[in-house]
Amino acid sequence: MRRLAFWLFLASTPLAATAQRPLAPDTTVRRLALREVVVTATRTAKALTEVPIPVTVVGKEQINAMGALRLNDVLGEQTGLTIVADHGRGVQLQGLNPEYTLILVDGEPLIGRTAGTLELSRLAVGNIERVEIVKGPASALWGSEALAGVVNIITQKPQPGTHGNLRLRYGSNRTADLGATFNTKGKRLGLTVFGNRYSSAGYTLRPESGTATVPPFANYTGQARLTYTLGEHTNLSFSGRYFWENQHSTLPMTGEDGSTTDVQLRGRQLDYSLNPVLTHTFSQKLFGTARFYHAGYRTKEDYTYTATGAPYDATYFNQTFTRPEVQLDWQLHPQHTLTMGGGFLTETVSATRYDQRQRMYSGYAFAQDDWTPLPSLNVVAGARFDGHSQYKGQLSPKISGRYQVLSWLAVRGSAGRGFRAPDFRQLYLNFSNPTVGYSVFGTHQVREKVAQLAEQGQLARDGATGELLINQTLLDQASSLTAESSSAYNAGVQLTPGQKLTLGINFFHNDLRDLIETVAVAQKTNGQSVYSYRNVSRAYTQGAEVEASYQLLPGLTLSGGYQFLLAKDKTAIERLKAGQVYRRDPTTLATERVTVADYGGLYNRSRHSGNLKLFYQHTQRGYSASLRGIYRGRYGLQDRNGNQLLDADNEYVAGYWLWNVAASKTFRERYTAQLGLDNALNYTDAANISTLPGRLYYASLAVNLGKP
Amino acid sequence: MNAFFSRGMLLTLTAATLNLAACSDDNDADEVAPAPEVTTVSNLAPAAGGSTSTGQPATPKHYAFFNLATNKEVPYTDSASTKWDIAVRATTILVNGGTSGPGKGQAQVVEGLFSTLTSAPETGYQQDGATKAIPTGSGKGWYNYDATTHLISPIAGKVIMLRTATGNYAKLEVMSYYKDAPATPAATTPSGYYTFRYLYQPDGSRNLN
Repeated sequence: MRRLAFWLFLASTPLAATAQRPLAPDTTVRRLALREVVVTATRTAKALTEVPIPVTVVGKEQINAMGALRLNDVLGEQTGLTIVADHGRGVQLQGLNPEYTLILVDGEPLIGRTAGTLELSRLAVGNIERVEIVKGPASALWGSEALAGVVNIITQKPQPGTHGNLRLRYGSNRTADLGATFNTKGKRLGLTVFGNRYSSAGYTLRPESGTATVPPFANYTGQARLTYTLGEHTNLSFSGRYFWENQHSTLPMTGEDGSTTDVQLRGRQLDYSLNPVLTHTFSQKLFGTARFYHAGYRTKEDYTYTATGAPYDATYFNQTFTRPEVQLDWQLHPQHTLTMGGGFLTETVSATRYDQRQRMYSGYAFAQDDWTPLPSLNVVAGARFDGHSQYKGQLSPKISGRYQVLSWLAVRGSAGRGFRAPDFRQLYLNFSNPTVGYSVFGTHQVREKVAQLAEQGQLARDGATGELLINQTLLDQASSLTAESSSAYNAGVQLTPGQKLTLGINFFHNDLRDLIETVAVAQKTNGQSVYSYRNVSRAYTQGAEVEASYQLLPGLTLSGGYQFLLAKDKTAIERLKAGQVYRRDPTTLATERVTVADYGGLYNRSRHSGNLKLFYQHTQRGYSASLRGIYRGRYGLQDRNGNQLLDADNEYVAGYWLWNVAASKTFRERYTAQLGLDNALNYTDAANISTLPGRLYYASLAVNLGKP
Repeated sequence: MNAFFSRGMLLTLTAATLNLAACSDDNDADEVAPAPEVTTVSNLAPAAGGSTSTGQPATPKHYAFFNLATNKEVPYTDSASTKWDIAVRATTILVNGGTSGPGKGQAQVVEGLFSTLTSAPETGYQQDGATKAIPTGSGKGWYNYDATTHLISPIAGKVIMLRTATGNYAKLEVMSYYKDAPATPAATTPSGYYTFRYLYQPDGSRNLN
């Protein structure tokens, strides 16, 4: 029965190519049957233990045992992943900022990033089957943004029968979460529906600031998927998502005369998506998928004076993403499986700080060969080309391999290129600060706008020569902005000595080029600058990741993970070597040169991070419990001595442990009660970390309806 | 013996009373001029300028004028003379020349360690004009402004190379902008109080060792 359910599950998975083709009667089938299957690594279903690149899978049971509500709760407890806050909570992977990790839902990208960060708490986890995390660049399959890796959220597919569940949770900070799922599947038609309301009163870490750290909010998520069997070989699936959030806060605004006025902020954001997918099995060897995806993201912020209700400011941001895509999985030869595909992407954006509705196009094609020359050797090689209307085309190759040396030892390695396209603001921004007077233009129009300012006499002239103060070199660079890219290497071993112990080690190196930074291209007569963007910085991140898991007793698993990370700006190292960086001792006021050894690397990276977890599950009696300790080592927060790089002790935030505990009991196979405590030791650092509200209690009750 | 100080002595000037060490006027002509000394000046600041309507301290009315050769503050009434070399008010530093005064004063900001910059550059100096020889603005001259903490910090590794009102060379490094140079100034610490060190070469050469 369980196996049947599995086959049905795979049959309804659009990417489940392997389900349609004959599999060698080896351990592969057994492992697939254990559901340890991933689709993100190769865009085809492949056993987790056999993929040639590092992948982490977090399943539904583990998500439940953690008491997680939002995606950031899940990702924050995984080895090598760190939740960092910058215009929202995003994930840092292999030491790279959130903008370098692609976030997918069922293989389609979630849109709506603010300053590069996609707010992970926008995603409820109540209907998630599993989360797949691919580490290392995956642009060879997934294109832009998949430079550090890919997080793919696989939602539940319709399962046979009719059932559902209701779940209510309440906790500290008046945080309430109410969720429901419904599932039905007959012979041809299947449906899943998920609804969630999540709200909180927020919290205030620094009451003296006059503003809430997290103001009260309420958000709603609706997701549904309809599957229909059109014929013996053809399946149709239609998914949709709708999310919206309202937030309300009061901000004290300080005027030029030092007086403060209260301003009310009403913020609203929403995202939606529609995703029909058609799959067809042409033969045992050929499987096709046609997908269409349309998504939108909107934010709106209204600021009004509390006293009078008069408008203070208003901003909006509207983005859409539309893309048809096809993919063919072709088993050319018993040893070769080809995966080919292509698509066409249209993106639009209109916002307060953009001239008009901007539109850009991109077409792409990819191909991959999954080759098994020997039963113990697997090589996956592929490449993708992305052509774009706004910047030059990107070719992203990748090769990876895995070799089973001994029954309990495998080695694997990969090399590939990743890229990240310039984002909307870097392409189209048109912003002039009304009070300070500087201007920022995206690459698309910086030349035209600078010429315009020159015509209007707003640009300063050189006192001696009378020439306009325009840096032509920088302007040329700014108007030919291109994608950021990386070359990355991963190598590691997987060990399974005995039935109870698994151990994995992976070394990684990411070499980043053409990182985009802000640059002043011209001087204005008001003493301010005209800014744009250019590709200049070079950096690297490298390190090692170790993960181990040991079954102490039946149902009781101890696991641990550790990441060592170095992340440095290569330009900074050059300047340090040239002796061009200085600092002043705050007490003696003496100035000294900063040495390479003093350099702490990029901000917000912990050299050491890790976790220690204990999971317990007694299925028969219905008990489940978990104790998780998450460690984040000290990391650089900001420059304090004026040299713009991390070198002094007071520029770091102290490392800390977070201990989370949860326990649940299921009664009559229908009712599940859970109690939990996050951040049990009540660790906070109000001055430096806004995302740690302190100890959080919660209790939840879930009811299963119908036969699961 | 140099005209002003005994070897190694660091002189402290307070803003209110410019308390000078005794200077010997009998500068023997046949005495070999020893190497010029590094001098540290504390809390050079103009007289307070009253307060604004909201009770904030207002910008001082006059600059604080200073003579590097004599290591003395000069009354503002002498601003139209060559008795002063530099003048400070808030974050602006003037040199006595161009639009600022009748002297030969010029300046440029160079990068390096104060102690290892042992000779003044030959060229590259500017006079005060529409833009100041020592550029104003965060990150452009000698200081950075932090918009979050509202603090002014002298940029480490920035040394001001000067030509004085009489055309001699000197080097100068601002060390603190806050009264009594606290290690961790707060936004409320009285500001505009310059602590700086300088080396003045009286013999007209570019030697600043």
